[in-house]
Amino acid sequence: MTDVAAIGQRLERADGQDKVTGRALYVADVKPPGVLHAKLLRSPHAHARIRSIDVERAKALPGVRCVLTGADLDRIEREPSSRARAILAVGRVRFQGQPVAAVAADDVHTAEEAIDLIEVDYDVLPAAIDPLEAMKDGAPLVREHAVATDDSEALAHGSVTAGEVKVAGSEPTNITSRVHYHRGDVEGGFAAADLVVEQTYHIGHVHQGYMEPRATIAAWDSQDRLTVHVSAQGQFSIRSELSAILGIPESRIKVIPMEIGGGFGAKIQPIVEPIAAHLARKTRRPVKLVLSRSEELIAATPSPEFIMEVKTGVKKDGTLTAVKARVIMDPGCFPGGPLNNACLLIACLYKFPNLDVEGIEVLTHKPSQAAYRAPGAPHGTFAIESQMDAMARALGLDRLEFRLQNCIVEGDLMAHGEPWPNNGMRQVLEAIAKHPVWKDRRPAPNRGVGFAVGGWLGGIQPASASVRMNPDGSLSVITGAIDLTGTNTAFRQIAAQELGLPAEEIAVQTADTDSAPYAGTSAGSKVVYAVGGAVQAAAADARRQILEIASHELEAAPADLEIADGKVHVKGAAERSVSLAKIGNASTRYGGKYEPVFGRGSITVTQRSPGFAGQIAEVEVDPETGSVSILRYVAVQDVGKAINPTLVEGQMQGGSAQGIGIGLSEQLVYSEEGRLLNPSLLDYRKMTAIDLPRIETVIVEVPSPFGPFGAKGVGEPPIVPGPAAIANAVRDATGCDFPDLPITPDRVVAALARQKE
Amino acid sequence: MSKRLLTITVNGELTEALVQPYQTLLEALREDIGLTGVKEGCSTGDCGCCTVILDGKPVTSCLVLALQAEGKNVRTVEGLDHDGALDPIQQAFVRHGALQCGFCIPGAVVMARALLDENPSPTEEEIRWGLAGNLCRCTGYTKWVEAIQEVVAGLNGRPAEGAMK
Amino acid sequence: MYKFDFVAPRSPEDAVAQLAERGPGGKLLAGGTDLLLQTKARVVKPSYVVDLSRLADLERLEYRPGEGLWIGAMVRSRAIQLSPLFRGRFSVIADGAGLIGSIQIRNLATVGGNLCNAAPSADVSPPLIAAAARAEILGPTGSRSVPLDEFFLGPRKTVLGPAELLLGVLVPDPAPRSGGHYLRHTPRKEMDIAVVGVGSTIALDDGRCADARIALGAVGPTPLRAVRAEAALRGQRLSPEVIDHAARLAAEEARPISDVRGTVEFRRHLVEVLTRRTLSVAWQNAEQGGSGR
Repeated sequence: MTDVAAIGQRLERADGQDKVTGRALYVADVKPPGVLHAKLLRSPHAHARIRSIDVERAKALPGVRCVLTGADLDRIEREPSSRARAILAVGRVRFQGQPVAAVAADDVHTAEEAIDLIEVDYDVLPAAIDPLEAMKDGAPLVREHAVATDDSEALAHGSVTAGEVKVAGSEPTNITSRVHYHRGDVEGGFAAADLVVEQTYHIGHVHQGYMEPRATIAAWDSQDRLTVHVSAQGQFSIRSELSAILGIPESRIKVIPMEIGGGFGAKIQPIVEPIAAHLARKTRRPVKLVLSRSEELIAATPSPEFIMEVKTGVKKDGTLTAVKARVIMDPGCFPGGPLNNACLLIACLYKFPNLDVEGIEVLTHKPSQAAYRAPGAPHGTFAIESQMDAMARALGLDRLEFRLQNCIVEGDLMAHGEPWPNNGMRQVLEAIAKHPVWKDRRPAPNRGVGFAVGGWLGGIQPASASVRMNPDGSLSVITGAIDLTGTNTAFRQIAAQELGLPAEEIAVQTADTDSAPYAGTSAGSKVVYAVGGAVQAAAADARRQILEIASHELEAAPADLEIADGKVHVKGAAERSVSLAKIGNASTRYGGKYEPVFGRGSITVTQRSPGFAGQIAEVEVDPETGSVSILRYVAVQDVGKAINPTLVEGQMQGGSAQGIGIGLSEQLVYSEEGRLLNPSLLDYRKMTAIDLPRIETVIVEVPSPFGPFGAKGVGEPPIVPGPAAIANAVRDATGCDFPDLPITPDRVVAALARQKE
Repeated sequence: MSKRLLTITVNGELTEALVQPYQTLLEALREDIGLTGVKEGCSTGDCGCCTVILDGKPVTSCLVLALQAEGKNVRTVEGLDHDGALDPIQQAFVRHGALQCGFCIPGAVVMARALLDENPSPTEEEIRWGLAGNLCRCTGYTKWVEAIQEVVAGLNGRPAEGAMK
Repeated sequence: MYKFDFVAPRSPEDAVAQLAERGPGGKLLAGGTDLLLQTKARVVKPSYVVDLSRLADLERLEYRPGEGLWIGAMVRSRAIQLSPLFRGRFSVIADGAGLIGSIQIRNLATVGGNLCNAAPSADVSPPLIAAAARAEILGPTGSRSVPLDEFFLGPRKTVLGPAELLLGVLVPDPAPRSGGHYLRHTPRKEMDIAVVGVGSTIALDDGRCADARIALGAVGPTPLRAVRAEAALRGQRLSPEVIDHAARLAAEEARPISDVRGTVEFRRHLVEVLTRRTLSVAWQNAEQGGSGR
């Protein structure tokens, strides 16, 4: 370790300049020579049989180079096992917006025109849209045969899968997965309770809301190697999936990650790359496919719908006695979603001696899900934190003291039998207790203050990184981790700290699949946690090699050397030194006597470090219109060690904004027939700069025993408490419960009217 | 339909491009003039990623036909710098960490520039109203406001409050 | 984008002539904030658009003594929001224009476009109707004038014929002690389409309400005049109770539908709330001699 104070430094992002000048390149900015533009014809129906498709007029349109339907694709599965494999529909469509045909043309307007000329004859079928209806016998079925669940995204996210039972029974059903956790005797627990609170909570589908619509460019070379430019959270996972889907070895696929305009979990599954690859192969030209915003809203991969029936029991003195819950998760038309996360968070945030939580996954004819920042966690947290507030109020207990009385600590067993690792839940609650927005709150008409806490268990993944010294003595960190959240900046700081150099002198690159060391997806809040550890190890290895070389040059033991000001010198004798530039030169030039400095680090962190976050909202309600204004908002988070406080604050504020959106304004609204009723950003409402107040941040540091310099995963926890904090604040302002999100003005007005009766 | 000649001044330079009558200014800038800094986030004017300054006024270029801009002045994110030196707004955004994925940022800094050109000392509320047409999913807008407030303080000769050290 | 041709007329008369000559399939292009959305979505498929953005004649914004305030069809809503002409007696119009979209949208969106697109939720319609504006229309055979409350025929339908063009609106001088206000309800503070919009104007004479005009937006196929509510105010000494009563009547007169932006019940409720609020402010403005913003 060194004296350099890189950890905790507010280092500016290295990509900042490129981004504020418009120089940073995203997929859609790339224009390979000869590129064709693709468009997809999408089903207007949620469930239908395809009787026929006539593409002749489309093919004949000047400027159209290729038209494909499912029948034209080799290896296409009639009943695809995953969304990524459902490249073009064959026989049946299972969600509104499912691609049925694809066009590649000289320009995007001609491609659109061609799409208009394709005629599809559909036999419209009844659709299962409401998950409760879809569970019933006789409901229209999404799948004809039981298919194994695709776990890859849940694993990519590092989220929990223990306790899951895949359902593959003999009777076809829309129910594809059941989980069940229980401990003790819930009925006895409720009998012993002085108060039992029961409620059903609902959060509908929400879009991850990244500002850059999905885009890809696919091209094959003369040796039949595929190169794909992607906007994605993991170039390696995309490569693996494409290899499996297209049936070609991974070594013949090169995935180039471009700057990514937001992902939040959605851009892990490759849903545009396979069709672009097919079109490119057919036309022998590069093919670019960029989704429109309405395609994103209608037919991408939103977060699942959750219905959570929760019952909790508590004694007068605030001791919790039991929790029983039934959690229904609707992931759309393909199974795979964070059912476990939601179930666990309902039962495991507080000390419930008796618990019984049942989880059910049921498919519907809607676009299949993808992860959305801490998947399942905002949902489970919304349910349990609303219950906790309701119980505290009914018993006349202080809402915060009640949490402290019951919050879990390290070693408490979670519902699946594993002990809670070291965590900062208590410290986050204490920080909320001390904050003026909570502490100094006073009742005021139409105003309320509420808070919530929640956590994310944290992902883990093997990772490697390398640190290379260049001939001029400068150092480069190379990882395969896509810089989704500014993690490359954190890596610079970690490497700098290990090497004893200013962070400004270290470059970080995310390389493509041909050249990068393996890393998992940038998801699961595990990038700094896992890859950062690999960077730290690689930097330490490089340092050792540098000191080895210097010790030969200076005839001193490595232990007597230190690195500062671009030189290695003997401790206490600054004039006995050799510059890094000289070491770089000596280890790379022709005839040089040393091996190039190339530090390698590979780690497998197997221990999770959960990250807890808490948020306080002060709101004002207009009782006549139902409008909710947020007056003040505070985000608290235990990050273990804030490697770069500016980046950490940014994550906290961005996650808070997303949580607030789920609480107040965002929902994908489907008709009974499964058509999306709000397919534009006009009616899918994300918070704007005038809808949000300044989001104040409080960083708590309870060091992790496993993360680099004590850091914990930062990216996901900040979305978790938002919806519950908002609901608890609006309840405080109005006296009404809001178990259905989002809390739109009409719901506030209706709740107040019911209260009057 | 045949293309037509479009003549416009972009970032101070007289520029010619061949465009279709139905092409938007956004598309002409990105595809025909080669300025990919301006982004397409929604194409319906709801997100602000495509904001450019047209004859001194910030507009969503996805809703302007290229030919409507004939003979006009357009300023894009590429034209914000002053002979290679970043505009103070650009510098402040970087310094404050007011950007993450960066996709909305060209539109946001152009809009911020337009705001301060019209009103060099906006209040926080005026800043927020002014940027309400620029959606950002990553930052929650707090650091945008702090960055712009620092620039405002600098323009008015005051030391910035809460400025980054 | 749907593929259409682009026509740049030299004058309003030339625009009308182009429409007449080229025949059906043409659309007038004002700010583009409605038409281009529709052509991108391919719900409107014009073979050509006639661009009005260079016609200086249509951009005039001026007060004509003895006549009233002239707002050319191509005046951008941002210009209305910022113009000193709308502080004071004509403030109700800026109330509406200032709420459309964002600043970027307001720099493009025009009064004429907002009116001629004729969405029931248009934000300039209720204020202009409440201000008793008249539409000036140019066609192949000359010009005509239509009171704005007769201009709308249904959602997206106006009295404009196929080769006719809106030149602008003339807002008559309000009575000496009058005032107006427009409010709308949207889920977010900006960027949204109005769930309900209400524009009210009140003229006072000798302590009583001499005239009242209440225009409701987004609660019917066209903007509606709440005539029973207006009648309940005329001749009355105003008070909160009188205003409450008028607001309840206006709610009854609304004809909302349920859609993804709001239910019938919620919209009716909002009509009452916003009518009450706009009448109260209009009354206050009228007492102060019409000074609005």
